[in-house]
Amino acid sequence: MSESKSNHPLVHLFNTFFGKHWPVWVGGIVLGMLNTILFAIKSPWGASGGVANVGDNIYSVFGLFGNKEVVPINENNYGMLVILIVLGSFAGALFSKEFALRIPPKGEMIKGFLGGALMAIGATVGIGCSIGSFFSGVPALSGGALVFTFAMFAGVILSLKYLIWEMENRPGWSSGKSFTYLAVTPDKGRWQVILGVVVVVLIAIMSYSYAATNMVMAWFILISGLMGLISQRSRFCIVKAFRDPFMSGEAHGSEGVIAGLVVSLVGFTAIKVFGLGSISELSLRAREMTWVFPHFWAKAAAGGFIFGLGMTIAGGCAVGTLWRVGEGQIKLWFSALGLILISPLSNTFIVPAVDSVLPQTMKFRNYLPDYLGYDGAFLLVLGLILLWYWFVKWNERTGKFSAF
Amino acid sequence: MEIKMTIDCKGLSCPMPMMKVAKAMKELKTGDALEMFGTDPGTKTDLPNWCTKTGNEFVEMTDLEGGITRMVVKKA
Repeated sequence: MSESKSNHPLVHLFNTFFGKHWPVWVGGIVLGMLNTILFAIKSPWGASGGVANVGDNIYSVFGLFGNKEVVPINENNYGMLVILIVLGSFAGALFSKEFALRIPPKGEMIKGFLGGALMAIGATVGIGCSIGSFFSGVPALSGGALVFTFAMFAGVILSLKYLIWEMENRPGWSSGKSFTYLAVTPDKGRWQVILGVVVVVLIAIMSYSYAATNMVMAWFILISGLMGLISQRSRFCIVKAFRDPFMSGEAHGSEGVIAGLVVSLVGFTAIKVFGLGSISELSLRAREMTWVFPHFWAKAAAGGFIFGLGMTIAGGCAVGTLWRVGEGQIKLWFSALGLILISPLSNTFIVPAVDSVLPQTMKFRNYLPDYLGYDGAFLLVLGLILLWYWFVKWNERTGKFSAF
Repeated sequence: MEIKMTIDCKGLSCPMPMMKVAKAMKELKTGDALEMFGTDPGTKTDLPNWCTKTGNEFVEMTDLEGGITRMVVKKA
């Protein structure tokens, strides 16, 4: 990590942000606030929809999937969000001199692609990923998001057991030749900081270019860039939050995600109760149902489980994959490739098959306040989050459920 | 300090370096030192945190050329 020894106040400020990693709970709180702002502007944070949009655009360039209407990436808020998370993370990695092209052993790249492919299937079947159906879906008071979360948790545990088995019995799969390019040491490589400035200026120009015609996009670009940078600096990752208590027993990743969830829960509930934001375009009911997807319960269960399997094998959730792409982790480039290439295929072939089998009672929109009122739904979700916090802290102290 | 075991985690990303370190530490005795070479920036935070939690001693961390970091941990 980069840390200049000058005493100039600006250098001190720069070192505060980029000299070392941020505590993940700081990242979680800021991401929760930015997520609330995104919702106030239009709709909450999500990743899988944008990933599928990028995939659709790639396939349409090659004329695949017939005459399907594809929204260009530069006109799709979430397609741009995906690109900007990567760019923001790229800037954060450059400022901290952590950027490098890290090429892992072959087996890791294969696991990256397979993990990405599983995440793509899980996200398309479950209508959402670790962000849309968990980090945003749970604060949106969606019953389906709770099912998705429990199923994702089950997928993570099973997948972690596989990884431990693989390490014990097939160590060669994660060993072999690796290469690192463009890396610098903390006292050298000023070019990374300069390139970081160029990337930030480009993001600002990109945002400004939309200001006159599409203010929502202009804000999405700025906030997504910030989210990428913050995720990289705090190493915010959903898979870490679910996996680490059962692997190393550590709770830092969980604390960060929990902090973000609580902030978003308060912000989202206020937006929904008062119908804040783009209410002129939508009815209050439509505002309430934002990010409450028609996946309760079987679609959420199937999708969440498959997504949990995939993100653990890949070593990065949806956002964890994207910001590690910006940091130069080639394994996660393969995960992103799996996500991008398999999402449109799954939407075309797997999702219709699943939908034709499941009755309507297994794929409807479950909005918790409809059953429990706003106070009951809020307290239920907050109670579950606090229960999780209690569990990870107790487990961190006792090591009862940690593998190592 | 005598290094008892060295593991190569270069090119690996989260969670593989931490898994390999934890597995290697199981094979060491109290007071033995483990040396690890890695390239994942996350390990620079994860390994000291894990040592704090487990009571193992995080001895040193050195940035080398080529984006490689050398870390040494002593088993408690």
